[in-house]
Amino acid sequence: MRITHGRITLELHELTRREGPALLLLHAMYGSSDDWGEALAVWPGPVYALDFAGHGQSDWVPGGAYYPENLAGDIDAALQHIGGAAIAGAGLGAYLGLLVAGARRDLVPAVLLLPGAGLDGGGASPDFDTPFPDLDHPAPGAPEHRADPLVGLLDAYVRPVEYVEPFAHAARHVLLAEDGAARPPWWEAVRRSPTATVISANLSVALPRLAEQTSAT
Amino acid sequence: MLQRVTEPSFPGAAAPERRRTLDVRGVHLNLLEWGDPAAPPVLLTHGMWDHAHSYAVLAPLLARHFRIVAMDARGHGDSTWAGAYTWFVDVLDIVAVLRSFGRPVYLLGHSKGGGQVTDAARAVPELVRKLVNIDGFGPPSLPAETRPMPERFAEFLDHHRKLRDDWRPYPSLDDLVERRRSQNPRLSREWLRYFAFHGARVDHDGWRWKSDPQMAIGFGPWQPDWIGPSYTRLGVPMLAIIGSEPDTWGPLPEPILAERLGGVRDLERRTIAGAGHFVHIERPAETATVILDYLRS
Repeated sequence: MRITHGRITLELHELTRREGPALLLLHAMYGSSDDWGEALAVWPGPVYALDFAGHGQSDWVPGGAYYPENLAGDIDAALQHIGGAAIAGAGLGAYLGLLVAGARRDLVPAVLLLPGAGLDGGGASPDFDTPFPDLDHPAPGAPEHRADPLVGLLDAYVRPVEYVEPFAHAARHVLLAEDGAARPPWWEAVRRSPTATVISANLSVALPRLAEQTSAT
Repeated sequence: MLQRVTEPSFPGAAAPERRRTLDVRGVHLNLLEWGDPAAPPVLLTHGMWDHAHSYAVLAPLLARHFRIVAMDARGHGDSTWAGAYTWFVDVLDIVAVLRSFGRPVYLLGHSKGGGQVTDAARAVPELVRKLVNIDGFGPPSLPAETRPMPERFAEFLDHHRKLRDDWRPYPSLDDLVERRRSQNPRLSREWLRYFAFHGARVDHDGWRWKSDPQMAIGFGPWQPDWIGPSYTRLGVPMLAIIGSEPDTWGPLPEPILAERLGGVRDLERRTIAGAGHFVHIERPAETATVILDYLRS
């Protein structure tokens, strides 16, 4: 279904329709709703998948001004339509899902953070020696996706620990999917939050844990 | 019945001699030009909610020696509205305009435009000969915010849920003048009438600003304390201009300004007596003299 955020029209896919708690899936940078297969079978309620602006079947942002908090507004628009949902996000979707879970704790009973493209952003503090991105020659996304190449700008925005930490504290439950790989500083800070639980990165294990947390809330 | 209004005049203001647009990533940027096209170019950028005609008095003074190009930033003046706005992309728009000249350019900005041209000069020093920043050194450090960040972000999201697609109409041009004058009481009604005429459009139901109302707020981790360290990486000479008088949007308290500018490797500073934040509008002749001396030295 089509939903709007400002002047942008987004595609919110309704993947399954069942009675039960809702799940909203947020893809990684350059990804799309096509990236979620296993979620459908194990989740006990309706499952939605959002294509962020510039991704999948959603509009590209005219002029290319992609920034994280604006894309978090895409999630908020989806929640407004669904009426509230647990969130599972990968990479960029994990970071944005955490921000929204902290700001909309009445609508998000739990959030699952998974690795994926766009997890790190521009680091924990500004580096004024980093060259500005060349928008005339942006790095393309994976060819099988239809992402706007300018969404690569999202990787230029810093994610300071002191900025992210309060969102983790405000969220009701945060599940961190870990597989032994290194994680960015903001993720390390979330791990220290009393709301956080570290679990396996295996989706077939992680999603049932998210469902447990959601029904326990 | 709406009253028809002819273009107001203002002492020293001159209409641009040429206009053109530059397409940058799907946004049409409006460019106004004064002066000899073969002269060395100076690119001018304006502040938040302003537009290129705000240089209508300064530009002709500079155009005696330079080709002056004033741009409407995206979402302002006669440039097109975009799907979203962020400082970073505004800076990259300026970089795109700089590249369009095919030669190094002098760069000047006021207020928000001053901060953005400074970042643009940092991004592409090879394209910028000298930089002039008119009272665009950012806000003071943010006051200690007692409300948690997630609560403030929820407000941002609430605002996005209610984004309006256009301004409400004002009954007359003079109502726009009074609205802007409530924010900038140092600016004369005569100037603001000229400014508003070029910065607004008249519809069947009244006058509306051309600027996009969706630019109003942003959100993120950015801190004013990052400005000073960024200036230490500036590889272009800078002339920093402020007015002597306290005003709505500046200047910064001197200790903060001095600390921010302390890391600029090649810096000149000038204070224009009797001017507030809009130095180039309140004291155009003195401002032009200072700028011309700097650019031509």
